[in-house]
Amino acid sequence: MGKFKEIIRQYPFLGFVIAFIILMLVPSVFFTDLYQSHLASLICINIIVAAGLNIVKGFCGQVTVGHVGIYAVGSYTAGCMFLYLGSGLWLTLPAAILIAGLFGVAFAIPSFRLEGPYLALATLGGGEAIRLFIENGDFFMSTYGISNIPQPEIFGVPFDTPDKYYYIAMPIMLIAIYFSFSVLRSSVGRAFMAVREDPISAAASGINVKKHKMLAFVLSAMFAGGAGAVYAHLPPGYIHPNNYTVIEMVTFLAMVVFGGLGHIWGGIIGAIIITIVYDLTRPLYEYQLFIFGLTIVLTILFMPKGIGGFIDKYFIDRRFKTKTGAASK
Amino acid sequence: MLLKTKKLMKAFGGLKAINKVDFELPANEIRGIIGPNGSGKSTFFNLVSGVYEPDPGSYIEFDGNDITNEPPHKVGELGLARTFQLLRLYQDMSVINNVMSGYHTLVPYSFIDAVTGRKKIWDQEKTIKEEMMELLSFVGLADYAELNASELSGGQRRLLVLARAIAGKPKLLMLDEPAAGLSPVNVDNLMKILMRLKEKYGLTLIIIEHILKVVMDTCSKVTVLDHGEKIAEGTPTQIKDDNAVIEAYLGKKMDDEEMRKALAV
Repeated sequence: MGKFKEIIRQYPFLGFVIAFIILMLVPSVFFTDLYQSHLASLICINIIVAAGLNIVKGFCGQVTVGHVGIYAVGSYTAGCMFLYLGSGLWLTLPAAILIAGLFGVAFAIPSFRLEGPYLALATLGGGEAIRLFIENGDFFMSTYGISNIPQPEIFGVPFDTPDKYYYIAMPIMLIAIYFSFSVLRSSVGRAFMAVREDPISAAASGINVKKHKMLAFVLSAMFAGGAGAVYAHLPPGYIHPNNYTVIEMVTFLAMVVFGGLGHIWGGIIGAIIITIVYDLTRPLYEYQLFIFGLTIVLTILFMPKGIGGFIDKYFIDRRFKTKTGAASK
Repeated sequence: MLLKTKKLMKAFGGLKAINKVDFELPANEIRGIIGPNGSGKSTFFNLVSGVYEPDPGSYIEFDGNDITNEPPHKVGELGLARTFQLLRLYQDMSVINNVMSGYHTLVPYSFIDAVTGRKKIWDQEKTIKEEMMELLSFVGLADYAELNASELSGGQRRLLVLARAIAGKPKLLMLDEPAAGLSPVNVDNLMKILMRLKEKYGLTLIIIEHILKVVMDTCSKVTVLDHGEKIAEGTPTQIKDDNAVIEAYLGKKMDDEEMRKALAV
């Protein structure tokens, strides 16, 4: 087992190939109806957003509440490209990532001067502005929403039902996770953390604070944009401005916070759990925002590092004990 | 000259925190800066390292480069490292990550390499980590590498700050009260480590310190600031006997008559 671990550490790509094979088999073994496949695709999409949000919020420490706006930009880029150009996912996905990246630049600029709750307010305004702009724009079909966005085909095989679409969403999610891992485990990820912990001393170590804030925002915006495009094409291929409200943003935040801010696995674990809980509590629609708000508050109060923090702590304690023989607190 | 300032000035409103300070520091020297609280020592550091922007007319040169209006990260890239009076550790990062982020400017791979996650990066990261572990064991923190910086004791934090500043292989290291709050034994230990690091990495040092023993023992030259002005400069023994310094910082020298009067009240 130890040798296997070492090989994965050496070639992280191999780990993703194995994960891909396992996840390919999941539906045929576990899923009993179409709805579960739909939920699995949704989990994949949310994982992409949460992984991106973890970069900017968890690692770089910039409080952004406008991410759902960028997610909407991704979705509507895909929707409009279908509507006016007739493009499919393979064209709309890169376009959505690119355009969302540009919006990421716009969202990064306030972070140069604002911090904490003030930055949250500014980004909240940005996110809501995007939604209202879409809702009131005839170009975006305003409150009718865009429907019949087509599912992609590979070699003439259509992926037009929820159980098939899972095989589109899942690999894209794996690629996104792979990128986020690569970035966060490199010196760039460390620089993000340094900026989060103390911008002044980060700058003294030669880290360009503005550049890294910008990078974090743009990267995470690209994740959100990509996820938005995948969501737009999700069967039945319907998007509406109401899918991009503050409620969705709170859910995304709950994923990252619950999973563990600044923990690489954090957003992923959080996305899986929160998406399932979100779905189970659908009958209690009126209380959903309350439930997730409360989840965030309680998590911050009683386990500020989320689930990921627990996992980390366990491994570090064990390693520290074996090294020094000290009883850790 | 490694570091040179000319007519360095900084005013906060009406208060002249630094007033026309000319400062020259050749390579390989250990320079002490002393002065009472509020005399502008830390402001001097902040000006040189780019945290504050100096007032017009000032000039700062480091290693042949004009760094007068450069942002702090540019100054850091040129090889000027510093520590802070309030430490400014990355509390919520592991000890090894603290030190490794100090190495940032020397990381050999590009951003694109990092995003695509190529294998060569992991090899390079491994070498960096090994090198930084060596540095950690040098300051005696190797056993704590995986712990959070916030879990260290006060003395260990000061060592970690030192290690982080040195990780980037700077030419000049500016220490802002490295021994503040340490017990005498720990102060000696810190100074020993500092001297060994200086030898190993060929550092030039500027030390702000209130513990005069440290300054007198380690520094080859001392600069004294008072109310933002340089009032004296010389070897520790010269400084000890300088009347202006004694009056501003060490306390006024009294003759017997004055002493008797002062005590009589």
